[in-house]
Amino acid sequence: MLEEIISERLGERYYKYTHSSGVTVLLYPMKGYSTVTAQFSVKFGSVDNCYRVDGGSPVHIPDGTAHYLEHKLFESPEKEAFQRFAETGASCNAGTSYDSTRYYFSCSSNFEKNLEILLDFVQSPYFTPENVEKERGIITQEITMYLDSPGWRVCMELYKGMFKNNPVRNDIAGTPESIALITDKLLYDVYDAFYNPSNMYLCIAGNFDLESAVEVCERCLRPGKAMNVLSVAADEPPQVIARRMEMSMPLGKTTFAVGFKSPVYSGRSMTEEYIYRTLMNDTAVGASTEFYRRMRDSGLINETFESSIMMGRGFFIPGIFGESDEPDRVAEEVCREFRRLRNCPPSKEAFLRAKKYLYGDNVRMYNNVESVAQNLSDAALTGTSAFDYAELAANADYEGMLSRLAEFDESNFCLSIINPTED
Amino acid sequence: MICDILIKYNDLYKEMLRILDRKQLADGIFFSKITDGRYKTNRISITFYTDFKDEQRADYAILPYILTDSCRKYPNLTRLTEKYSDLYGASVSDNLGCSFDSRSMTFSISCIDDRYTLEGERLEQECCELLLDCLLDPKTEGDGFEKETVDIMRQELIDAIASVKGDKRCYAAQQGAMAAFPGEPCGLPANGTIEQAQAVTPQSAYTAWKEMLRHGRIEIFAAGCSDFSVSERILSERLSGISRGDVYPLSPKVSTLKPDVFRTVENCQMQQAILRMYFKAPKMTDRYAGALLSLILGGMSTSRFFTNIREKQSLCYYCSSYSNRFKKTITVYAGVDPANLAKTERAVMTEFMNICMKGVTEEELEHAKLDLTENARAVYDSAGAISSWYSSQITDPEMLTPEKFIEGVKQVTAQRVMEACRLYSLDTVYTLSPEEVR
Repeated sequence: MLEEIISERLGERYYKYTHSSGVTVLLYPMKGYSTVTAQFSVKFGSVDNCYRVDGGSPVHIPDGTAHYLEHKLFESPEKEAFQRFAETGASCNAGTSYDSTRYYFSCSSNFEKNLEILLDFVQSPYFTPENVEKERGIITQEITMYLDSPGWRVCMELYKGMFKNNPVRNDIAGTPESIALITDKLLYDVYDAFYNPSNMYLCIAGNFDLESAVEVCERCLRPGKAMNVLSVAADEPPQVIARRMEMSMPLGKTTFAVGFKSPVYSGRSMTEEYIYRTLMNDTAVGASTEFYRRMRDSGLINETFESSIMMGRGFFIPGIFGESDEPDRVAEEVCREFRRLRNCPPSKEAFLRAKKYLYGDNVRMYNNVESVAQNLSDAALTGTSAFDYAELAANADYEGMLSRLAEFDESNFCLSIINPTED
Repeated sequence: MICDILIKYNDLYKEMLRILDRKQLADGIFFSKITDGRYKTNRISITFYTDFKDEQRADYAILPYILTDSCRKYPNLTRLTEKYSDLYGASVSDNLGCSFDSRSMTFSISCIDDRYTLEGERLEQECCELLLDCLLDPKTEGDGFEKETVDIMRQELIDAIASVKGDKRCYAAQQGAMAAFPGEPCGLPANGTIEQAQAVTPQSAYTAWKEMLRHGRIEIFAAGCSDFSVSERILSERLSGISRGDVYPLSPKVSTLKPDVFRTVENCQMQQAILRMYFKAPKMTDRYAGALLSLILGGMSTSRFFTNIREKQSLCYYCSSYSNRFKKTITVYAGVDPANLAKTERAVMTEFMNICMKGVTEEELEHAKLDLTENARAVYDSAGAISSWYSSQITDPEMLTPEKFIEGVKQVTAQRVMEACRLYSLDTVYTLSPEEVR
């Protein structure tokens, strides 16, 4: 029943099975550790704002619905989930991203009991007009809190400039106006569509007994109605819709983000692309490059400068972030450097160093129970193996990076800027 | 039978290895190590505790920038970062703050274990050497650091000081601490002011570095799967070369309660107001009851603040608390609609009063104990967390293992929590609020 997935390279293994309900279960025992983390995830995030069930008509839902649902699932006619976890001592929480919602707990004792609670509350929605209404004020405050965060705002503005229709341009939590449209009935409809077992993934890592975990799954995972839910993807032009977005907030120094509009990937190819693009960025504009030193020594950037890739179902955004008094010049210099490197590419030595860095970072992750559980969920939700990253990073070759560099369209970018307001 | 004995011996051996091994290497230099086979990495941290003089804040705050930018062996960031990559991303990271009423400056390095390298490299020794290269052998010019480096890093420090304003929660915490702890080191931002940063010279930073090495109390923590014998030898040899004297004595002080509640409101262009309330209990001696009280009030997902202020009254998204056993304080913080500031403050006071008058239930006490117990056990799962666990106890007469700490938690009664609560008084209320409610 259990399929064993092994990494010879890392000396690690985990187990996979599909429960009769359709839930995919991944189990990663980590002997000698004190804690265990379990994540029960559903492939439903803020980008899923339009969907079809069993080939029916498209259903549009308000922005922020997945997040609202996450908040409300902790509710129960009897004891709330938080109360039940408090009785076992586990810490529990949940999070909604662009493409998934995850419910999780961490504990060092009472694992089986905690797993029962997790599976029970996620499978037992309880929405009433009163409890849905009560949450509106709390979520409005959460939305407001993020409006004061320059790091969040610079990204949100960036996505608005990059995308015309892709729902990644909308705030995960929605807006006060969009969440005003959410009702208990809507939450039940959405729950029925997306929270069906074949769209859900249970991932457990840490110090637990394999047989006990399977026993709890067999006992507590409930059969669901087989439904074929499909998120309807919006048509998106290949070019960014704005080259520059600008706003002001009280802050110490101008904050900026550059996003390069790229094709979308999925599954293992998304991981592979992530690795090669990270290697490309590290060897082109990373901290070990002459470019970086020149920019930093000239005061054009400071230690906050970094490149990273935001990715998920339906989006893949290589980006550059930082603070600068001249963000337009930084963007120009970055693009010029990518153009220059096309004719004069980074050395193979630089590539090998960047590869070691990337690989080492991944190995470090296996030190941490919560990170392993998170990685396992990421793999489950994208239909990949949790060991793909280490394997792809270890096997990445110089030519692969050069081909990405040759194909990279550095001109298709948007620059988002937040200037300090004048005191 | 023999197999059983071997398994038991093996388990016992593993338990023993988890125990802290601590020794003094030289005057005011302590080395602590925890070897645990569960880790795939080895981490070494070196913390310097120094006198928190107001006027020298920026001179010290620039040191992490300078010392992690280059050293004599790797003379610029490019060369140093290349070395990090050769070591599989084992970079030197830093943390500057205030602990035990002193300045604490930590430099750490973490590398993957040799078992996982792609070409059989031996990383621990190289990482230990690299960390010491950065700290003990920076690039200097006479009695100063290189002017060019200081000029760049000075601007980076100024940027960092200015950038706090952009992070409203961080800014509120900084300004709130200044209001709550005037004249105390923890009331001063560790980076100093922009004016102080502008005044940093290659010589003033160099003097701070020399002082740090000569007078700082030095705490080294090594945690990982290695036995760190190689690192210990390297550390002993290289640190013994430092000229030491008048080692700074660590003595955390209790924060004084103000005679009257101090209130201050700061206005800023923002969407959501931030409320910070500081409670002090100078006579508090029961560390376990104090920690449980803070959890029951606002430190867990069934806390009174979460249940009554967020869930029942929908006043905010977050309203939480944390305690400091050295300063004997509980800090409450909440993000609220400006219109609900007064209501939220009253609600916080009501929860304090309710515990003072009626105590806590056995159920919530049990929940808080479980929470604390789980968190204490979890520190074993991270080399960084277990190092922090012990480094937070270096001024205590006895260092407690997580198990010993849990034993203390279990003894606490509801009566003790109520008595602890009665010792707290409101000291300071700091509010950061949008301009329109001025």
